[in-house]
Parts: sequence; C-alpha cells; structure tokens
Amino acid sequence: MRNILVGLAIASVAATSLAAQAPKTIAKPAALRTSDGKPDLQGVWTNATITPLERPQNIKDLVLTEEAAARMEKAVTDRRDRLNEPSDPNRTAPPQGGDGSTGAAGNVGGYNNFWLDPGERVAIVDGQRRSSLIIDPPDGRIPALTQEARTRQQARAKLAMGRGQYDHPEYRPLAERCLLSFGPTTPLVPNYFYNNNLQIVQTPDHVMILMEMVHDARVVRIGGTHLPKHIRPWMGDSIGHWEGDTLVVDTTNFPPQQNFRGASENLHVVERFRRADDKTINYRFTVDDPTTFTAPFTGEIPFRAMEELIYEYACHEGNYALGNVLSGARNEEKRLGSKQ
Amino acid sequence: MTTRNILAGLLLAAVFVTGRSVIAHHAFGAEFDPNAPIRLQGKVVRLEWVNPHTWIHIETVKDGKPEIWMVEGGTPNTLLRRGITRDTVAVGTEVIVDGYQTKDHSLKRANGRDVTFADGRKLFMGSSGTGAPRDGSDPIEGGTKPAPKKPGGK
Amino acid sequence: MAAFRPVHTTRILRDIFIAFATAAVVATGFWMTSPVESQAARPARIAGKPNLNGIWQALNTANYDILSHQAKAALAFRPGPVVPVPAAPVLAFGAVGAVPAGNGIVEGDEIPYLPEAAKKQKENQANWLDRDPEIKCYLPGVPRANYMPMPFQILHSDKAVFIAYEYAGAVRNILLKDPGPAPVDSWMGQSVGAWEGDTFVVTVTGFNDQSWFDRAGNHHSDKLKVVERYTPQGPDHLWYEATIEDPTTFSKPWKMRFPLYRHINPDARLNQFKCVEFVEELMYGKLRKQPVQ
Repeated sequence: MRNILVGLAIASVAATSLAAQAPKTIAKPAALRTSDGKPDLQGVWTNATITPLERPQNIKDLVLTEEAAARMEKAVTDRRDRLNEPSDPNRTAPPQGGDGSTGAAGNVGGYNNFWLDPGERVAIVDGQRRSSLIIDPPDGRIPALTQEARTRQQARAKLAMGRGQYDHPEYRPLAERCLLSFGPTTPLVPNYFYNNNLQIVQTPDHVMILMEMVHDARVVRIGGTHLPKHIRPWMGDSIGHWEGDTLVVDTTNFPPQQNFRGASENLHVVERFRRADDKTINYRFTVDDPTTFTAPFTGEIPFRAMEELIYEYACHEGNYALGNVLSGARNEEKRLGSKQ
Repeated sequence: MTTRNILAGLLLAAVFVTGRSVIAHHAFGAEFDPNAPIRLQGKVVRLEWVNPHTWIHIETVKDGKPEIWMVEGGTPNTLLRRGITRDTVAVGTEVIVDGYQTKDHSLKRANGRDVTFADGRKLFMGSSGTGAPRDGSDPIEGGTKPAPKKPGGK
Repeated sequence: MAAFRPVHTTRILRDIFIAFATAAVVATGFWMTSPVESQAARPARIAGKPNLNGIWQALNTANYDILSHQAKAALAFRPGPVVPVPAAPVLAFGAVGAVPAGNGIVEGDEIPYLPEAAKKQKENQANWLDRDPEIKCYLPGVPRANYMPMPFQILHSDKAVFIAYEYAGAVRNILLKDPGPAPVDSWMGQSVGAWEGDTFVVTVTGFNDQSWFDRAGNHHSDKLKVVERYTPQGPDHLWYEATIEDPTTFSKPWKMRFPLYRHINPDARLNQFKCVEFVEELMYGKLRKQPVQ
C-alpha cells in the first residue's frame, strides 16, 4: 500500500509541475458528464495529425503562425490531389532495380496514396497550432539517452548485426508479426499512416480505450493497483484515478519488446485525459524512464470526435505479408546462393 | 524558413516518429523484389478486403494461358470510412497494375505500386482525411461523409 | 494533568492511531476484501437497464463440442490396432489432451445441417488439426467467443455496451444505432444491440465464413446471422441464448443457450491471452533460416 501511495505522490508531483501551464478550464454543460458526475470521455476519436512527435530541427517555437500552418496543410493536400490524378494507361512496368522510392516505400514504390489517411491538419491544442506534439522539454525533442541506455542500444545493435533480419519471425517488427500496431500504443501517439482512431467506453470503475489497430483494448482499472512486477502484458498495465475533471492513467509493467524510443523495463507513462469541448479531448502524456532518458518528456495531442465507425482490424488472420517476407528471404537465398 | 523546408522537416520527423524504422513497419522492401518489376492488365476475380493488406486477385493472360496474380493494397478500413464497400469494384473490372513481384518468385504476388482502371484513373480516390478541426475551416466539417462510390469501373 | 503526558506514551498513542487509520483505509474504498462488499457497491441498473458490467465466463465444455458428448482420448485420432489412437501431433499431451464430457448447449441437441454442410462438418472434424481456426489463434467469431474457456469483460455505460474478450484480445463494440448492412465481412461480425425490457438483444451479421462454432468442426457460411439474448438472473448470472440462422448451411434456425457466471472475486480482472506470438513456430517454423530440429 505504501508503494501505491508513493507512486501516486510522485505522479502527482510530476503532473502538477506542468499544471501551471494548463489553460483555463472551459465550462462544461451537464450533457458532457456521465451519470456518476464525471466528464464523459466516451465516443470515437481520432488523433490523426500532421504535427510530428518531435519538433523539426528548423523550427524553434511550439506555436506555429496561422499562415505557416496553412502552408503546411496545403502542401499535404496538394500532394494528395496530385497523387489522385490519373496515371498513364500505357505505362510500362517500373524500373528494373527499383524505382528509387525511400522510406516506407522501400524502393518498390509501396502502394497508392489513396490507401493512406495520415491526417491533413496540424494539431491544435487550446487554440495553438503546434509544431510538435512534445511540449516539454521546451525544444520539443525527446531528451538525450542516458549512458546506460546508449550502452544497451549498442549491445542490441551489435546483436542485430550478427544475424539476418529475415532469419526468424521473432526478428521481424511487432507490427509485421501482427502482435501490435506501429507506434507505441501507450502513449496514444498517432502513427502517421492510417486508422488513427480510438474508442473510449467509461464506467465508474473501468475506462476502456480501444485502438483500431490491432483491435487492442486497454482496460484501465479505476482505483486499481498495478500487477506484480513479473507480469508484463502487451501495452503494459494501466490503472487510473480522477483528479477533478481529469482522468489520470498510470501505466507500467511494459514487456521488454515494447521499448518505446529505446526505453527499458522501467518505462512509465502517465496520461491525462481532459474534455476540452463537445468535440475535443485534450490528451497529455508524460514518459519517464530514468534508466533510459535523461529527463521525462511530455506531449499533448488533441483527440477529435469522429462520426464514423471503427472497423475490425483482424491483422494476424489476413497476414500474408509475414509469410511472404520469410519465404521471400528463403527463396532468394536459394536463388542467389548467399545471405541477403 | 520556406514552406518546403518546413514540410520536409515535418515529413522527415514523421518518418522517425516512433524511433523504429518506418521501413520496418511496412516491410515493402522486405517483401517485394526491386529486381522483378511487373506490369499486369486483367480482370478482377476477387477482392480480399482483409487487414493488414487488401489483396486484389487479377486474372491476366500470359502466353495464351490465364494466370491469377495477387496484388497487395492497403488497409480497407480507410476506404470503408469513405463509403467504399466490398461491392464498389465489381468482379470483372479491368485494371492495370505496375509493381514488383514478391522476393519469393514461386508466388504470383506483387505490390500494387499503382493500381488503376484501364483508362488510367486511380482505382480509388484519396479524399479528405480524418483529423480535420471543427473550427469552420474544413469543408467536410460536421461529419458529412462523401457519397458512396458507385460500383463498376466505367 | 491532561496537559502533561510522558513522551513515550504519546508515541504509542500515535502508533496506535496510525495502525487504526491504516486498517480503516485498507478495509474501505477500493481495497474491498470480500465478494459481499463488492457486490453491495455494484449498482443494480445503468441508465434504467440491468447492469451488465462485469467479468463473465461460461462454465461448460461447449468449446469442445456444442452438442452433448462423452469424454474421449484426444481431439484428433489416427487408426490404431484395436481402436483409434491419438494422432501423433497430440499424443504427448496424454490425459491433458483428452476431451471432457459435456451436456451440450444446443436446444434439441441437434444441428439441422443441409446435407452438404453435414458432410463438411464431418470432414472438418476428421481434419481438425489443419482446419480449426482456434489452433492458429484466429478470432473466435460469435457465439463461440462467449463460451471459450476464458472470461470476457462487458463494459456497460449509459452510452455504450462493449465486450473485451481475454481470448486473442477479441473485441465487440455493440452498436446501439443500426448503421445498415456491414460494408465488409469480419470475424466477429457487426453487432447491433437494443433492449427488450430487461433483455439485451444483439443481432450480429456481416460474418465471414472462416470461424467455427467449436472444436468439433461445426461451421457456417458468410450468410450467418446470430441473434443473442442476454437476460440477467440476479446480479451474478446472465441467461444467454443465441439463435443461429444460415440458409446455405442449415435447413432452419436453431438455438444455443447456457448460463454466464460473473467473477465475484473483488480483485477479478481480465488477463491477457494474445496468442498470435504463441503460434509463430507452428505457422512459420518451416520458413526459419534454420528450422528447429
């Protein structure tokens, strides 16, 4: 019991140090409360945005001007419109040796842009157009790693060098194995690709957060206590409590494979959900892991009410890709006679 | 600070947002062979509306014989929210695909690098995404969905 | 006299006070120690309807076979010199791999298959190891999800009814407003729910044809429609009925029914069984660079 109280106290101190930056509360009509008097967080929400997690190197301020934000958004929609235009029906096969595309497209051109739905707006929180989701540290970037973390990463990299990335399914990314989605799941950072949607259901003793991918339901036990240290479910273990009109969710017990930006088993995430108006939840998260990051970091993401439905994302059941990747590597080894 | 630099910075930042390589997420480079380009033209025989990737089954003709190829697309969920259903693209619709075959050459599978109707129009259209702010500036504010697409390819 | 107290008595009194205060806090609030206390705190109704919240579980062996069945040696067999014996892949499980008996959950203890579908059920059962989607940790479908040997949690608020299953992290959001026909097939279907008095009625459509009803090969097509009825029998029991309709598989509708029991342990919580990683060796082992010998 003492550990719980100490844990809550630490969480409160961490939270209140940022509370000074919190904006004035907006009066909420009675309709936005549940029958037990708490702010109603329920519904289907999207956290899609073009604002990145970390501030780009060439932007100094957290807040963008209206003009700068509009220019960014127009660049994204212009690109979308351009990629919607018809192709040449007489086009030939793409170039031998790859089409030069980088990043996710992997030199094979990925797939059409119409499959993507990354969001087309910068994040607006309390009227501010944001250049990064991270608000603290003030430079909007994840703090430096500790020496311990850097050593860990080097060891991991060394291990990875000595083996083929297609040798075993366990070497493949969690998303490719359909164990979890891209992105950390906790905190609820958008993935900048698609299906950035979540549903919240709220009862007096539980709050359920469903992420569309991979139909991952996180059940937060209000007033609960954390699981024993050796039990580490995917997405960690979340407990919650109300601080006035803010739902505070505390998550620990992450499995080692969920090493968000290099985090260790000591990863600890505190999330704060506050209803800003009838169409918006202001979501704030703080990540701390003193054995990995030299300081905690905090971000804010607006969740916007969505009128559409979340559809089933049964990933494993349709996962041709993982088999294709592994059989492709084996096929190539046979064909080319060497380790690719 | 030009718009282009800002945008480039934003997109670059988005690429590394989770710290894990975006290439690893999507595995296009892991699954498909840049040394095996293909162009397919044929009729849709089946649309597998599954996650994580839709698969479009196409019957083409090679050396006078029919061949069935599977072409990888994206998640169907985004299309469903735009009013596109499993009936939107009818069986028998003629499509053109350019892309690359899987590294496993024993499979007739390829990525749908560009999937269009026979006249070059994109098979589906990308429309305004979710995430628009409800501040009056977005034309689709208020949750109005685009009208469902009519089936067929003409 | 009251003003003067020896120091060590003060300390003792303070310690006693702290002990009492701690005990009081531990005994109240969210550290309830008995089922009676936690049941008392549970509201009987949510927005005027019976409270469906809780962690629920079926107590039957329907997942082995929804029809009545006696115990048998294994889930898969091969010919033996005298009687069929467990198939090689399951032999090592011994009694752990045996199938327990069950009374069945089907009204009339008979499934009205059309002839082709009846044949397919027999083939499914004979080829269980290759065909049962449960083996590959595929989503269980409805109503099988409700009688898997693992609990599920119903979250019932004034706005929503949502079911989170322990098995494979399956989920069902029960839509309270009918959006029309499902635009795509899915493993868990599209659920639309409404109250009829104190019974929550859920109509599920939009299934694919991939899931089974049990480990005995009972199956359906993508024309499946399930109508569920959840009727509370007091705070800790639900009477569950599911009417199955599928004109391409069955000659007429038929019904399953069984009780659902609420976990009354105050510490009850849903655990996690994300089994996708458990089946990687099974599904991809042959594609390893060096398969396990």
